[in-house]
Amino acid sequence: MRGTRVIITALNHKWAYHAANAMTGFATSVIGCGVEAGIERELSADETPDGRPGISILMFAMGSKVLMQQLETRMGQCILTCPTAAAFAGIESDDQISLGKHLRYFGDGYQTSKLIQDSNGKSKRYWRIPVMDGEFLVQETTGMVRAIGGGNFLILATSQTAALHAAETAIEAMKQVPNVIMPFPGGVVRSGSKVGSKYPKMFASTNDAFCPTLKGLVNSELSDEIESVMEIVIDGLSFDDIATSIRVGIQAICDLGEVSGVRRISAGNYGGKLGPHHFKLHEIMGVASS
Amino acid sequence: MSALTFTPKSDSAYNIDCRRLTPNILANLTAAQIENLSLLNTKNSPKITDCFDISGTDANHIIFKNTHHQLDYIGHKMSHGTITIEGDCGDFLGANMRGGNIICHGNANDRVGDQMRRGLILIAGNAGDYCGSRMIAGTIGIYGNIGSNTGFAMKRGTILLTQTPKLHATIQDCGTHTLPFLALLFKSFSAFNTPFNALKNLRVQRYAGDLACDGNGEILICNTNVSA
Repeated sequence: MRGTRVIITALNHKWAYHAANAMTGFATSVIGCGVEAGIERELSADETPDGRPGISILMFAMGSKVLMQQLETRMGQCILTCPTAAAFAGIESDDQISLGKHLRYFGDGYQTSKLIQDSNGKSKRYWRIPVMDGEFLVQETTGMVRAIGGGNFLILATSQTAALHAAETAIEAMKQVPNVIMPFPGGVVRSGSKVGSKYPKMFASTNDAFCPTLKGLVNSELSDEIESVMEIVIDGLSFDDIATSIRVGIQAICDLGEVSGVRRISAGNYGGKLGPHHFKLHEIMGVASS
Repeated sequence: MSALTFTPKSDSAYNIDCRRLTPNILANLTAAQIENLSLLNTKNSPKITDCFDISGTDANHIIFKNTHHQLDYIGHKMSHGTITIEGDCGDFLGANMRGGNIICHGNANDRVGDQMRRGLILIAGNAGDYCGSRMIAGTIGIYGNIGSNTGFAMKRGTILLTQTPKLHATIQDCGTHTLPFLALLFKSFSAFNTPFNALKNLRVQRYAGDLACDGNGEILICNTNVSA
């Protein structure tokens, strides 16, 4: 996968969130959305290039072409349009992709660029595009790096509310880990999938082995007491980032204790054939305990 | 490495053309080669050592010390590095500049940044007439007073002032605005020890021009009295 980070700033966090939420909307899975995107964390004014409150977002796609196309489209429709918002590169890389490079033409000839040196003396190009609320400021490019998507684990619990509570607890802990996002709604997936389907046109279909209502009908992975399963999917900039995130999430669930109703943690590994990276939960948790 | 430093030997009867004393030309030259270099690429040109005492070795950062208003064309066509002028300088400071930084702690004469394309010129003192004339792009900051015909025939670029000068007819008043990019620009100024470090207010009076040359340049008047 390829990934990038964009720093979005605005007059206040309220409007930065409006922009970031729009930018990362409909970006849960590369299969249907093109990209997987999410808010990495909130940034204080002294952490952003222009000294305003900001949001850091991460965006991942299966290839550089899709990532570039999706980034440009979302920048144009979600950031350019959002009052007071500005966008800056959030990651250094030799591979640069357009952030405002093509968006500048919206200025219809009134756009202007500025080359401004950062604290390291490196010149970076910014575009100033006149818009109705003043000026839209956007950096010309941002970095693109190799990244990893699809790290996951499953929470098997005795009830739906127990599974959801455990998932929420894990997500809150995992949000503190940098360089990762959990792109699904609230960070949680209830419709985990398996590869293939009885219908020829479907690439993926419901993960019947983990569907509690199909116990007895299929070769179920669930014991009698399991009534609900939630999945957490993680995209990150490196293997270690995702492994750390998984460890933190599982630990948070374990800390809830037996009363949480969680009986088992598993993962979808798709026969080990879906991608080169394998997150072996015992090894990840073993690192934590050593 | 210490900065390559040029100190004028005495007040000259003539203006001195400093266009060859840039990081572009002096980089990778030894001290002996620099001492033997002619001031101009002409047959009867004096040598650099006829006009300047030289010290230091880092040609990427050049300092002019004890300077006066007869030093013309400092930073001409430079594309990288930094030139610091610890005093006044003459005409055509940063003319045809292609990048890098020029920091003048004194005053500059006419035609600062003439046909400048990229880079940054900050002048702590005053500047003469035709500042930013025929400017193509880049940034010029003048903290003190400025002469007439500022931004004459400028195409693009930014001239940052602290006082409103008398502007010619083809510079158009665009009103007072808060410009977000100034936060980045002011932050970049902090690398240099100049009065510009006091600028915090992003609200400026904006003039666009020169309308005779498409009018994509701008003259911004900063308010030095009001904090951000």
